Amino acid sequence: MRNAYIQEQLESHGRRSVAVLPIHYPKELLTAHDLLAVEIWGPPGSPRGIPTERVQTYVCNIVRNALAFLSSGGADAAQALLCPHTCDSLQGLATLAPDFGGWDKPVFRFQPPKGGDRPSARRFLRAELEQLSDALSTISGEPLDPERLRWALKLHGEIDRIRGHLQRERAHLPWNDTRLYHLLRRGEYLWPEEHLNELCSAYAALTPERAQEGIPIFITGYLPEPMSLFQILESAGAYVVADDYAAIGRRINHAPRATSRDPFDALVDIFFAAPPCPTRGTPQALRIAYLLQQIRASGAAGVLIHTQKFCEPELFDVPAIRAALAAEEIPTLHIEGEVEAELAAQSVTRLEAFVEMIAP
Amino acid sequence: MISRRLQYEAARHVVAPFLSALDGWQQTRKAAKRGPRSTAKLFGPPLESTGKLKSLMTAHYYSGRYADGAVPVAWVTSGFPIEVLRPLGFHIFYPENHAALCGVKRLVVEYSEPIERQGFSPDLCSYARTDLGCAISGRTPVGRLPRPDLLACCTNICQTVLYWYRALAEHFQVPLVLVDTPFVYGETAPHHTQYIIDQLQELVAVAEEVSGSSVDSEELRNVILLARDGAHLWGQCLATGKTRPSPWTGFDGFFHMAPIVSLRGTEECNAYYRQLLDELQDRVARGIGGIHRETHRLLWDNLPIWFRIRDLATLFAEHNANLVVATYTNAWAEVGRLIDPEQPYLSAARAYGRVILNRDLPYKIQLMRDLARDYAVDGAILHSDRSCKPYSLGQIDLKNRLNQELGVRAMLLEADHGDPRAYAAEPAENRLTAFLENLA
Ligand code: SF4
Ligand code: SF4
Repeated sequence: MRNAYIQEQLESHGRRSVAVLPIHYPKELLTAHDLLAVEIWGPPGSPRGIPTERVQTYVCNIVRNALAFLSSGGADAAQALLCPHTCDSLQGLATLAPDFGGWDKPVFRFQPPKGGDRPSARRFLRAELEQLSDALSTISGEPLDPERLRWALKLHGEIDRIRGHLQRERAHLPWNDTRLYHLLRRGEYLWPEEHLNELCSAYAALTPERAQEGIPIFITGYLPEPMSLFQILESAGAYVVADDYAAIGRRINHAPRATSRDPFDALVDIFFAAPPCPTRGTPQALRIAYLLQQIRASGAAGVLIHTQKFCEPELFDVPAIRAALAAEEIPTLHIEGEVEAELAAQSVTRLEAFVEMIAP
Repeated sequence: MISRRLQYEAARHVVAPFLSALDGWQQTRKAAKRGPRSTAKLFGPPLESTGKLKSLMTAHYYSGRYADGAVPVAWVTSGFPIEVLRPLGFHIFYPENHAALCGVKRLVVEYSEPIERQGFSPDLCSYARTDLGCAISGRTPVGRLPRPDLLACCTNICQTVLYWYRALAEHFQVPLVLVDTPFVYGETAPHHTQYIIDQLQELVAVAEEVSGSSVDSEELRNVILLARDGAHLWGQCLATGKTRPSPWTGFDGFFHMAPIVSLRGTEECNAYYRQLLDELQDRVARGIGGIHRETHRLLWDNLPIWFRIRDLATLFAEHNANLVVATYTNAWAEVGRLIDPEQPYLSAARAYGRVILNRDLPYKIQLMRDLARDYAVDGAILHSDRSCKPYSLGQIDLKNRLNQELGVRAMLLEADHGDPRAYAAEPAENRLTAFLENLA
């Protein structure tokens, strides 16, 4: 389906595509270069095919599946690959696939600074963004027009504003989680203007009265896979009131888009104003304070921590998050996934029991 | 404060040397009573420097017990540019080295299980689990760990250390300074080097505040000289392995690297390596090998399996195979020499940004090719270390390339550097035996 869309974008708009690995990258820059970003989060299911044997089984399935996907030509419709430096495993993939086989088109790396807002990090990020922009020009065929970047900053600001609004007003959206998350995840590959139109339809569907009567659950974690998780929650009488999924809620940036500034400086500001994420090296205390504030504002009755097996950035924070939530007497459940096609039976049982436990 | 300082200095210079001499004497007596080990005929005579190594490291850990409150204490990652901390008088503690010690003493499970029950995943790096277990419980085989005033983390070995040190910062509530080193694909980009320089300057400001003193440029120069010479001496010790027979084994090397990791930039470290180098050169001159019959020469990739070193060394020696070079021990010789006292920040940025774990796979295969040629190896063991994803990812391709393109027979050995629960000894060592037999 995505391949057909990529093809259509090329034929109808002359728009080239860049396959992008998780998590954080300056999407505004790709949009400004008129490049379609197509994210690779999986694809879901257990790792398949010989290429997965090139990566040890103790590496997360996101990376193993991505190598298999790239090697099998799954992303061949794209003209280049962008590898953000998210974690040790993705860093490994960013040399394994281009250097030892699996991807033979142009590859760009984006190395976001770690450890928070420091003058050194700001200078470095700006240089890194400029370098990436120059590299993207080789695919788009045009140098960057700063006005286009200002426009893209505004466009993505609007997308984030509506995604944030949908999170905050979730109880007033008469859609189930499966439908909402399908919409949100279409942002992983749709041209942003199209995605904005779809988001606006959801926005228009918000009702003045509450539309969700179930038990509100907040999720922090990595990726909403398998999507059947939402059906299980729904059947148990719960719904997701907001999330801090690395792929979804954690990428909603509420920072104002000061488009009057130098657009690269504006991109730098946005980067440092993004929600806390362990892959950015945000101090744990800041991350926990942010989570507590989000959880309280959402009115969640309980918190689900949904991590991926072998995902060190997320897993190192789990004990501190659990301890902080326990201190606040917020019920918590931790389940671990493997981008499996279906949630393991044991996780289903634990989820159902959790919802039952927190039901009023 | 003054009495604490006196205690610290006395522990370092008087009590620790006395205790290690006593321990050495007791070990000698025990050994004399026990008679030669059954495996003694497989190996060359034990290195005499090992006694000195023990006392050096005992003094380091023993003085650490009294360090906090006496001098500022920093916990640092193994790849951190400590040259900027030493002139400020920090006692420097290396959690990775301590965790390796716990690995050798087979304490990793004991220390990590309690924190696994608190929610730390057993899939996390076992160095981190061991260290967090010790930090939280206060347990350690070295008596007591000094409480840190500063945590200093450099991502040139992995990003895992950042997640780990964030958890330590939360636990100890002390500042964490970070040197974030962009990964090197091919050549280092100028803005990457500048970023490291900028961070070094930022961290000096924090470290000065924590220590209450300021960096004396003459002293910094002196530490850098010592660090550079130490790396050079260590490199010379390793290079003795090029001779046939190698005067020691790579397994010895794993132990003897402790000072270059933990005491880098000190005269004690360099004096130790001068002694070790003299001994190794003397053995070369006299044709004494690390093992009695060295028929095959091997390269090791990745961390050692700390809790199986003795067993693996014996297994290798039984097959007349000597481990003559390891990418891991080589890492501390590789880039330290690039540090230039005349350009402390620029050269540190270049050197520390270019360690093996911060480089792409083409660099790694080139390095292995060079080591295989220089040390004339005929086989390679790639330890696929469950704990260490940055070192292990790519090894399957590396193994195939060594086999097919370089004609070096290679095998992958699935294990963990610290956690015996991730090592199936019998099948792994059966495979290893088959590999060693096939070398013949
Ligand atoms: S799931 Fe975690 S370990 Fe895997 S690629 Fe994503 S951030 Fe990295
Ligand atoms: S063993 Fe590997 S993952 Fe663990 S701290 Fe060392 S380099 Fe990082």
